[in-house]
Amino acid sequence: MRALGHLYMALSALVLALPIVVVSGAALNGGRSMFFPPQDPTLSRFAEFFLTEPVWTNALQNSIIVAVGAASLAVLLAWPIAYMLWSSGSKLAQVIAGLGSLPFAVPPIVFGVGLGFYWGFLGGLGDLWAGVVSHAVLLMALPLVTISIGLQSIDRSHLDAAATMGATDAQAFRTVVLPQTLPYTLSGFFFVLVLSFNEFIVMFFVSASSYATVTLQIFNSLRNGYTPTMAVAAITFIVVSIAVFSAIARWGDLPRLMGADQSRN
Amino acid sequence: MSVADGIDVPLGDRPAAATRLNWSKLLPWGFAGLVFALCLVPFFLVLAISFGRKVEGAAWVWDFTFENYQRFFVGTLWPDEVTFLYIGQLGYSFWYAVIASCIAVLTALPFTLLLTRLRRSAQAAWLVFILSSLSLSEVFIVMGWDILLSNNSGLPALFKSTGLTQWLKDTGHFQTLRDWGLANPRNVKFKTSDFATILTMSYLVWPYAVILLYPALSRMDPSHSEAARTMGANNWQVLRTVILPSVRLPLFGTTLLLFVFLLGTYVAVTVFADPAKHTTAVAIYQNVRGANLNAPFGATMAVILLVSAGICLTLGHMLNRWAAAR
Amino acid sequence: MPGLVLKGISKRFGGVTAVEPTDLTFAEGELTALLGPSGCGKTTLLRMIAGLEAPTLGAIFLGSVPITDRPAHKRKFGMVFQSFALFPHLSVRDNVAYSLTIAGTSRGEAATKADSLLDLVQLSGLGDRRIGALSGGQRQRVAIARALAQEPDVFLLDEPMSALDAKLREDMQVELRLLQQRLGITTIVVTHDQREAMTMADRIVVMSNGRVEQVGSPQDIYHRPENAFVADFIGKANFFDGVTEPGGVRVGDTLLTAEANFLEGSPVKVAIRPERAGINEGPGPNVVPATVTFVRDLGPMREYHLDTGLGPMVIEYAVGEKGEVLTKGETTEVRLPPEALHVFAVPRAAPAQKVAAE
Repeated sequence: MRALGHLYMALSALVLALPIVVVSGAALNGGRSMFFPPQDPTLSRFAEFFLTEPVWTNALQNSIIVAVGAASLAVLLAWPIAYMLWSSGSKLAQVIAGLGSLPFAVPPIVFGVGLGFYWGFLGGLGDLWAGVVSHAVLLMALPLVTISIGLQSIDRSHLDAAATMGATDAQAFRTVVLPQTLPYTLSGFFFVLVLSFNEFIVMFFVSASSYATVTLQIFNSLRNGYTPTMAVAAITFIVVSIAVFSAIARWGDLPRLMGADQSRN
Repeated sequence: MSVADGIDVPLGDRPAAATRLNWSKLLPWGFAGLVFALCLVPFFLVLAISFGRKVEGAAWVWDFTFENYQRFFVGTLWPDEVTFLYIGQLGYSFWYAVIASCIAVLTALPFTLLLTRLRRSAQAAWLVFILSSLSLSEVFIVMGWDILLSNNSGLPALFKSTGLTQWLKDTGHFQTLRDWGLANPRNVKFKTSDFATILTMSYLVWPYAVILLYPALSRMDPSHSEAARTMGANNWQVLRTVILPSVRLPLFGTTLLLFVFLLGTYVAVTVFADPAKHTTAVAIYQNVRGANLNAPFGATMAVILLVSAGICLTLGHMLNRWAAAR
Repeated sequence: MPGLVLKGISKRFGGVTAVEPTDLTFAEGELTALLGPSGCGKTTLLRMIAGLEAPTLGAIFLGSVPITDRPAHKRKFGMVFQSFALFPHLSVRDNVAYSLTIAGTSRGEAATKADSLLDLVQLSGLGDRRIGALSGGQRQRVAIARALAQEPDVFLLDEPMSALDAKLREDMQVELRLLQQRLGITTIVVTHDQREAMTMADRIVVMSNGRVEQVGSPQDIYHRPENAFVADFIGKANFFDGVTEPGGVRVGDTLLTAEANFLEGSPVKVAIRPERAGINEGPGPNVVPATVTFVRDLGPMREYHLDTGLGPMVIEYAVGEKGEVLTKGETTEVRLPPEALHVFAVPRAAPAQKVAAE
């Protein structure tokens, strides 16, 4: 029974890894077509993606700007909401939190269409900053959840203790709440970072073809078929994801963030 | 004696403080406005524009017409002529999403159950892997499966070179595959097919299924299963009588969420599905930004997609309540 | 360091009364224990003293200064929490120095002060440890040092021993008491453990259902309980229901000689401590036939469970005390000395509303 379980997990991992492995292999192709196993293996696609091909280097730069900007903005938006929810738990705070999570909960194509119209009216369509704001709003639900988990993990008696030792509310916030929720805030930041990197539907509607992120660039050239350079992008993104989530697992409590019971080990 | 009468302190046991009151009254409302403007207004715009009208060229004007809705349900020429093209597309959206979300949840359940039994550090390692795969863009996933399933490389080539194709032909199973549309006269083929579409879509949400089931399963008390075992239940009976009933709710909720998520799948459908079986999401794209350039109609379809998703969630919720009340 | 005075302090949560109007005075330099079962309101009372909870009615004075409206962070009362509430993101030294840092003391000075406090609680050299690396006993010492760092006017401890194992608990009770006497600081300890209260306290306040039942020295509380609740909660007691008659109390068919200042015919409860009753001590007042139903030999003492004409009762003999060795099923006679009998009014019916959990 135990062996059967391990076998099932291994099989799941294999299927999960299969397309990733194939894509990674395809990045080594020498020609313009995707073959697996790769033909005429070379590393020159990596140079194209990171250094020489302006289409890709620009896209990569845009991806980084959007992801870092959106992650920072999403955390800044989510913090006050999570704090309101935690400290007052009022109906208003619940409604705000619900609204903030809405864009993430509906099919992204609908929100993307909406944002396309929205920036069209406000005049941000095709600007990079509108893309940053769009992704921040779309993914705000993630830091909202992680920061809320972090705030809930604070023992209220710690705040009482700080008060009996002379700390005002503001001082207690700075010396107790902020440091204890830092890992959760960072986790939220990185969740947004990674998902923003990979998102393209919303970006497609708000960029109005005037700029492209890496995933959007791939999406736009879908009709012409995949090329090995795109596979390089895929590898880059997988590596970034694994690095980020490993960091979260290393410095934060990943099982708890994912909702595991804290008492069990 | 100074009497602190009428001080209303909530049960939440917080320090009695008056310092926070000043800004905490105004700020929530300011934030509510901001969040409303960013999160809700785009949806309202979609709704408003769905009643708009396309004008020749590539533009549209505000209006209040139900033409777009009529077109979606019965076609432009109704009542002289009726077409269910768009309803059909919505049907395919549902069809793919239902099957793929069910497959994903059913296969993710045993995996997640096994995952929660591992050591905490091993769980963290698996979660890194699952999350990395979860965050991987649809374009990359479709790229991978495209290589794996395309006719001149990947699995079909593997079938041919290992002689599996020949074996299938010899045993007569090949004809069955052809009947299912999974083979051409020479070899097996997966593009385009429902199989490839649903496979990719299940793959797309499988990590989500694990992540969504994980909290419920990891909080399940293992002593319940152990108690059932001491009372003579075998593995299968434990699963059926203890584990499944206790995770019924998250299982159902997860399936619903994945279903709604899959309604918006775009790339997998365009690459793997037969053009005659394309979905509403594809049509929205084509109307808003693609070849058709009919933004109001695209908005209409977006509204209908959203409303159907909402109806499904509500129905699911009611069904659940009904089942729980029984 | 002036003492602390509570005048008519009470607390209601919604419709639930946690603490009924209470007057208490905590003398300067004394250690007072708030003792009672869980849910009796003792923690709520302590939190009101700390300023963590606003009283619904009443006033608090430090000496003659009213501090009812002073928030917790301005009271300068050190508090040790049940869970210790040590900050996991700070080192041991930074935890102890917290109140000094908040008050704006320079880093070096705060660190020096923290180290001397760690010396005081015998944790020298552990200042750089993380909280997670400490044992339960060490954590408690850190919590005590941390609460003392601001040189508090009043030292508050909420169930300070409950996170420790039994052996450590006894040692720490003695140690904490010695430390408190050395510093001469007005101290209030909340506990549900009567041994703990009797070990440490100058004075015990027994509480139940949000009310103060009795205030007194440990000896007073044990030997002169004022009501049935105190007699039952502090130590062990045998209770019999009876009715007063001239010269004593009638329990069933037996008339017990006892001093009872009640109107004739009042329903009362008679109580006797297990160690105050004797077996086969010859003729005298209040001798009742009994059968042994169970014998528990606990080493330093032996316990007889008896079925008597009054009802079931338990008697204790300490090692070295005279007293026959009996076995289960034997019949004997039990004597209840009149001077050892307490006669109480039948307790008031418990109030209808529930008392808030602590």
